[in-house]
Amino acid sequence: MTDEIRAFLLAALTEMKYDVEDVDDDTVFGPAGLDVDSLGLAELAVRVEDRFGVAFDDDEAEMLAMMTLGEFCHAVAQRIQPASAL
Amino acid sequence: MPASVTVTGIGLVSPVGATAAEVFDAVCDGRSGLSRPPEGHPVHGVVDVAAIAPAIDPATVLPGPESRVVDRSIVMALRAAADALADAGLRVGRDVDPYRVAVVVSGVGGLSTLADQVLQRAGRGRFGVSPYLLPGTLPNMGAARIAIAFGIRGYTSSIGTACAAGAQSVGEGLRILRAGEADVVVAGCAEAPLFPTFADAFGNARALARGWADPTAASRPFDRRRNGLVLGEGAGVLVLERAAHAAARGARRHADVLGWGATNDAYHPTTPRPDGAGAAHCMRMAVRDAGLDLGDIGYVNAHGTSTKAGDAAELAALRAVYGAHPPPLSSTKGVTGHMLGVSGVIEAAIGVEALRRGLLPPTHNLDDPDPAGDVDHIRKTPRPSPVQAVLSNSFGFGGHNVSLVLSHPHPAP
Repeated sequence: MTDEIRAFLLAALTEMKYDVEDVDDDTVFGPAGLDVDSLGLAELAVRVEDRFGVAFDDDEAEMLAMMTLGEFCHAVAQRIQPASAL
Repeated sequence: MPASVTVTGIGLVSPVGATAAEVFDAVCDGRSGLSRPPEGHPVHGVVDVAAIAPAIDPATVLPGPESRVVDRSIVMALRAAADALADAGLRVGRDVDPYRVAVVVSGVGGLSTLADQVLQRAGRGRFGVSPYLLPGTLPNMGAARIAIAFGIRGYTSSIGTACAAGAQSVGEGLRILRAGEADVVVAGCAEAPLFPTFADAFGNARALARGWADPTAASRPFDRRRNGLVLGEGAGVLVLERAAHAAARGARRHADVLGWGATNDAYHPTTPRPDGAGAAHCMRMAVRDAGLDLGDIGYVNAHGTSTKAGDAAELAALRAVYGAHPPPLSSTKGVTGHMLGVSGVIEAAIGVEALRRGLLPPTHNLDDPDPAGDVDHIRKTPRPSPVQAVLSNSFGFGGHNVSLVLSHPHPAP
């Protein structure tokens, strides 16, 4: 699952014109890494919500700025898990 | 005596060139910017003819992530502003205090991108809507993004007076500089109306030229066979500067903006007042504001959009001001099409060039003036003239009238 999420995020970021060439699981979304601004993070959240049927509240979307790519994949996977277990 | 205000920079995105000189040459040579929209263009098959500006890759004016959901009008505004500031040789922060620079850049906003997003939402619900929609479309975003791109920190705004908005932005710039509220104003307009819904709105209002086998014949201001305007797109930005500020930094002065006027017809949302009273008052106001006499105006760049009603009302207004013999007159929209709010800016640039060259540009396609008679139309070829002052008219839906007066640079006070 995490691989699928990672692939989706990298594709989305590429489409959003971010350079993902040197990005790995330890890359943060904030200025020290991808440097995705608040609207970019909001768009990424909407795309993930659309694709994986999960929901983020506003605070969580802000937290994204502090996460690494790996952490975000994990968080999304965890959120999908209960649904797919039904 | 208010401070003199001068034009030190001009940047244009247009169907006929990117500089005042290129546009002026096209107008004088009758090199038309009108064409049939090619296959793949958003208004292909929607309108017979349009005035299409060159494509600009948004990534050349905006950082990558912001360049995706952003309206073409904003992209063109940024390009024109960059060119105008370069032409002025002005770097904000180096040559002028960022808080002493203002931006007044107008336009109807990113309606084409909004229309796209409405369709996306209809198909995919909220997941179709980009968070970048607002910064990519709001009508203030041309001005705002120019401020962001060039570090401009003073007064910024956008004026919503339709086809008078560009000229009114220049007038507002003049007012700001005279009031001493800034040393430099980046003033202009950008419009991207070439998408189906907007084009159909003009078409269904019976405002568009139609039925011309040769698309370059479709815009023919003041000609008897005119049957509507041709929609055009583009951007125009002027760097306006207090003349003393320009002189202190050794900047070249293209021309001065001497005065302006603004009135409303208070008549109808789209039809001009047939007697032209609102426009006539506006022209008198501008000439008086410039400290000139009516007889000092050596050339009128008419709004002249090539509609039956609009052209007739403007001639009525000129007669109301001047009686039987208005100054030499032309509309340059025969070549540029009607770039909506931008027309006031590009026509101010044409006025600057007319002053510089001592040459009055002709009205393209004006074969048979309507009505025939005493109005001194410049037709067919440009006319040499020792023109000292130019009056440029812009009128917009809503009954907005704006006139600008330009002249050769006068010595700084």
